[in-house]
Amino acid sequence: MAEVIERARMNGFKKALDVLCLTPLGLLCLVLLAVLPLVPPFNQEYLIRWMVVGLFMAAQAVAFDFTGGYINIVNFGFAAFVGLGAYTSAILSVKLGLSPWIGMFIGIFPAALVGFLTGVLTLRLRGIFAAVMAWFIGLAFWGLATKLVFLTEGPLGLNCPTLLQTSSNLPYFYIILVMFMISYVVLKRIVRSNMGLAFTAIGQNMEAARTSGINPTRYRIINFTLSCAFAGWLGGFYAHYYGILMPDVMHTSKTIEVLVVVYIGGRASLWGGAAIAIPFVFAMEMVRSVFSNYPGLNLIFYGLFLIVIMIYYPGGVAQFYAFLTERFKASRLVRLAVGNRLDSP
Amino acid sequence: MENRPLLEVENLDSGYGFLQVLWDVSLTVDRGEYVCLVGPNGAGKSTFLKSVAGLVSPMGGRVEFKGNVISRLPGNKICRLGISYISEELNLFMGMSVQENLAMGAFTVDDKSKILETQDFVFELFPVLKERRKQFAGTMSGGERKMLALGRGLMSSPVLLLVDEPSLGLAPQMTATVFRALDVLKEKGVTILLVEQNVTRTLQVTDRGYVLEKGKIILKGDSKDLSQDKHVRKAYLGI
Amino acid sequence: MTMEKSQSLQLDQVIKGLKSPAGITIALSIVAAVAASIDNGFYVIVNTIVTGGMWALVAMGLALVFGVMNIVSFVHGEFFMIGSLTAYFTFTPFSDYLMDNPHPVAEALLPILAMLASVIAGIVVGILCELIVFRPLRKRTREQWVMNSFVITLGLSTFIINSSQFVFGTDFRGIVSYWDYPTLSIFGVYISFDRFLVFILAMLVLGLFWLFMKSSKFGRAIRAVSQDETGARMVGININGIQTLTMALSSALAALAGACLLFMYPAYPTVGLGPLYNSWFIVILAGMGNVVGAAVGAFVVALLQVLTTIYIGEGWDYTIPAACIILVLIIRPSGIFGSGVRGILDQ
Ligand SMILES: Nc1ncnc2c1ncn2[C@@H]1O[C@H](COP(=O)(O)OP(=O)(O)OP(=O)(O)O)[C@@H](O)[C@H]1O
Ligand SMILES: [Mg+2]
Repeated sequence: MAEVIERARMNGFKKALDVLCLTPLGLLCLVLLAVLPLVPPFNQEYLIRWMVVGLFMAAQAVAFDFTGGYINIVNFGFAAFVGLGAYTSAILSVKLGLSPWIGMFIGIFPAALVGFLTGVLTLRLRGIFAAVMAWFIGLAFWGLATKLVFLTEGPLGLNCPTLLQTSSNLPYFYIILVMFMISYVVLKRIVRSNMGLAFTAIGQNMEAARTSGINPTRYRIINFTLSCAFAGWLGGFYAHYYGILMPDVMHTSKTIEVLVVVYIGGRASLWGGAAIAIPFVFAMEMVRSVFSNYPGLNLIFYGLFLIVIMIYYPGGVAQFYAFLTERFKASRLVRLAVGNRLDSP
Repeated sequence: MENRPLLEVENLDSGYGFLQVLWDVSLTVDRGEYVCLVGPNGAGKSTFLKSVAGLVSPMGGRVEFKGNVISRLPGNKICRLGISYISEELNLFMGMSVQENLAMGAFTVDDKSKILETQDFVFELFPVLKERRKQFAGTMSGGERKMLALGRGLMSSPVLLLVDEPSLGLAPQMTATVFRALDVLKEKGVTILLVEQNVTRTLQVTDRGYVLEKGKIILKGDSKDLSQDKHVRKAYLGI
Repeated sequence: MTMEKSQSLQLDQVIKGLKSPAGITIALSIVAAVAASIDNGFYVIVNTIVTGGMWALVAMGLALVFGVMNIVSFVHGEFFMIGSLTAYFTFTPFSDYLMDNPHPVAEALLPILAMLASVIAGIVVGILCELIVFRPLRKRTREQWVMNSFVITLGLSTFIINSSQFVFGTDFRGIVSYWDYPTLSIFGVYISFDRFLVFILAMLVLGLFWLFMKSSKFGRAIRAVSQDETGARMVGININGIQTLTMALSSALAALAGACLLFMYPAYPTVGLGPLYNSWFIVILAGMGNVVGAAVGAFVVALLQVLTTIYIGEGWDYTIPAACIILVLIIRPSGIFGSGVRGILDQ
C-alpha cells in the first residue's frame, strides 16, 4: 500500500530514473560518459577504444555479478560463455554470410543452452562445485576452439566481418553503451523483483531459503542461464568489434579480469563493477604503456588488488559508496537537528 | 586459595555474532562436585558449555578455572588445562576407528603408558568399545557413538567434564548405562557439570543444580531442594 | 571362523569392491591400459605410471588443502612452478661447475639437493600464503569461506605468476636431464634413467606421506581436523597450527613434483597451469577432499591423457579428460571414490 502511494507521488523524472534503476548521480555519470568521447582530449581514437573496452568489461561485470554477487556462485567459465556467443556469431557470419547484427542475437542461444545444461547438472550441488564444473566446461570449449580448426581457424584467429564498415571507434562506443545499459537495466530490474529477493536469500543461506519454501535449484538455474545468455550476447559484440577471434577469448585469465573488476567494484550491486570498469581499464592500460618493457606488471596489481580487497574490504567500492552516503546523510541530519534547535527558542 | 571453586563463571554474556543468548550467567563448580544445569529447549545450556569450553567466545564476563582466567583462551588451550567437553553433536571423527578416536582424545597427553592406562579404564567402563575397537565411528549406532564420545572425552584425563545431554535419543537401558558411568567417574573424583533434559533422574544423582531459562539463571540450589521447588516441579517434573 | 569362510568373505568383499564405481573405473582403466599396450607397445603403461606418480603428488596436496582447510585452491600450480624454478636455479650452477670439475658422487647427489631445495621453497611459500593471506581472510570471513577463499587463490595465482614473470622473464628454463646415466630397458621399453628414478622417488614420497597421515600424531591430527573441526578443537588440537602444517605439506608436495619433472617441463611462469588442470581433474574425479582417491585417480587421469595423445592427437589432452570427467560426474557427482572427508552435496 505504502509503495503504491510512493509510486503515485513520484514525478516523471523520478519514474524514469526508477525504470532505469539509476540514482541521479548515476544518471549524471552516464550522461557525462555519453558525451565524453566528443570532448577533447578524450576524442582521440585510442582513448575511445579504451572506453569501448571498458564498457565491454562493464557489461560483462554486470552479467557476472548477477550470479557471483547474488546467488554467490562464481561462474569460473564465464569467458567461455562469452566466447561461445562470439564464435557462434562469427562462424555464422563467415560460413553462412549471416548479418552480424542477427548473429549477435543468435549467439545468445548456445551460451544460454550450455549454461542451462551446466546449471541443471551442477547447481543442485554445493556452489563451489558449479564453479569448478563451469571452469572445466570452459576449458573444454577453449580446447575445442583451438582444435576445431576447420570451424574456428584455431589459434591463427577467425576473421569475421565487423558490425560497421568504419574504422572509427565512436559508433561502437554508442553500440556497447546501449548494450551495457540494456544488460544493466534488465538484470537490475530482475534483481529488484521478488525473484531477486529469492536469489539473495539463496546466496546468503541456501538451507534457510529452502525451508522458507524457495526451490533453490530452480532459481539458481534461472539465474545462471540468464547470466550466460547475456555473456553470449556480449560475445557477439566482441567478435564483430575486433573482426578477429582467437580461442583465448575463452581463456580463464579473461574470466579472472572480469572477476577482479566485479570484486573491486563490490559484489551484489551490479553497478559497482560497471562503475569502476572504465577507470580500471584506463589505469591498467596506462600501467601497461608506461611500463611497456615489463609485461604483466598490471596483472601483478590485479592479483594484489584482489587479495587485499577480499581480506580487508570485501564490499568493494559499492560498500565504500554506501558508507559515504550514510555519512553524508548522518551529517545532514545532525545539521538539521542543530539548526532546528537554534531556530526554536 | 584452597576454598576457591574449581570453575567460577561470573556474569557471563555470550552468543553468536550479534545474537546474544546468555545474559549475566554466574555459576560455580567445586572440586569433586556433580552439578547439573537444566532448562527448556533453546535456553542456552549448550551455548553456556561451549562458552566455557572455548568453542564460542564470550561477549562479556569472566570464566575462571583453577584460578586462571580462561574466557579469552581458544578451545584447544582450555582442553589442555583439563576441561573436557562432550557435545550434544558428539563431534566424533567419523572416518576413524574407535581406537583412533580414543587416541585422538589423548592428543594432549604425551605419556604413552598413561594413555594405555586411561584407555583400559575407558574399555572397562564401556566394554562395547573394546569389542568394536576396529569399527569406524561413522558406522556405529547412536548409543555406541555416545559412549565413544564419552570415552574420547575421558582420554585426556580431565579434571572437569562438561557433558551435554548424554541421554538424548537413548533407550532407557542405554540411559542407565550412561548415568552409571557418570557415577563411576564421580566416585573417581572427576568434577562433572551435566546438562540434561531428563530432569527427574538428574536431580536424583547430582549434588547441586542451576535452572537456566531464556539465557538467565532463575534458580539454583541443592538438587534435593530443587526437586521440591514449585516451579521446577511444575515446569520440569510435570507434577 | 574357519579359513574357508574368511576367504569367501574376502572374495565377497572383492566382488563388492569391483561393483562399486571406483572398482569399475579401476578395472576399466587396467583393461584399457593393457589393450592399448598390446596395440601400441608397453610404453603406454610405463608412461602412464611415471606421469601418474607425479600427478599423484600434486593432486594429493590439492585434495588435502580442500579436505582440511576447505580451500578450493587455484594457486596449487604455482607451487609446482616455484618448485621447478628453485630446482633449476639450484641445479644449473652446480651442474655447470661439475661440468668442468667432474666428481661422480656430487653428480649423483646434486639432483637430490635440488629437489630438497624445492621442497624447502615450497614449505616456505606455503607457510607464507597461510600466514599472510588465508589466516587474515579466515578471521574475517565466516559464511562464504569456500567461495571467498577460492577467489583469493585466484588473486594469489595471478600475483605469483606475474611476479615470477616480472623477475625471471618468460624464458623457458629447463635441463636436459638430472642424471647423465644410460637409458634403462624394462620389458623392452626404453626409459630414461631420470624418469625411472623420479618415479621411484615419487612412490617413496607417496608411501612416506601415507605412513605419516596414517600413524603419526600430526598426520592423524590433520585427518581429524578434516573430519570434524570442532571435534578437533575439543580434543586440544591447535587448528591454526594444523592448517599451517597442511598448507606447508601440500605446497611442498607440489614443489617436489615441479622439481622432479624439470627435465620434462621447463620452468616458466605459467608452467603450473597444466599440473593445476590435471590435479583438478583428478580431485573432482576421485571426490573432493579424498586424498587416497586422488592418488589412485592420478593414474586414471594420466592414462586418459596418454590414450588421448596416442589415439586422438596432441593438444586434445585437456579437452578429452575434461569431457570424460564431466560425463562421470553426471552419473556420480560425488566422484568415483566419494568424498571421504566432506560431502559436496548441499543436502
Ligand atoms: N551456531 C549458532 N548460531 C546462531 N544461533 C545459535 C547457534 N547455536 C545456537 N543458537 C541459538 O542460541 C539459542 C540457544 O541455543 P542452545 O543450543 O544453547 O540451547 P539449549 O539450551 O542447548 O537447547 P536444547 O535443549 O534444545 O539443546 C537458540 O535460540 C539457538 O537458536
Ligand atoms: Mg543443547
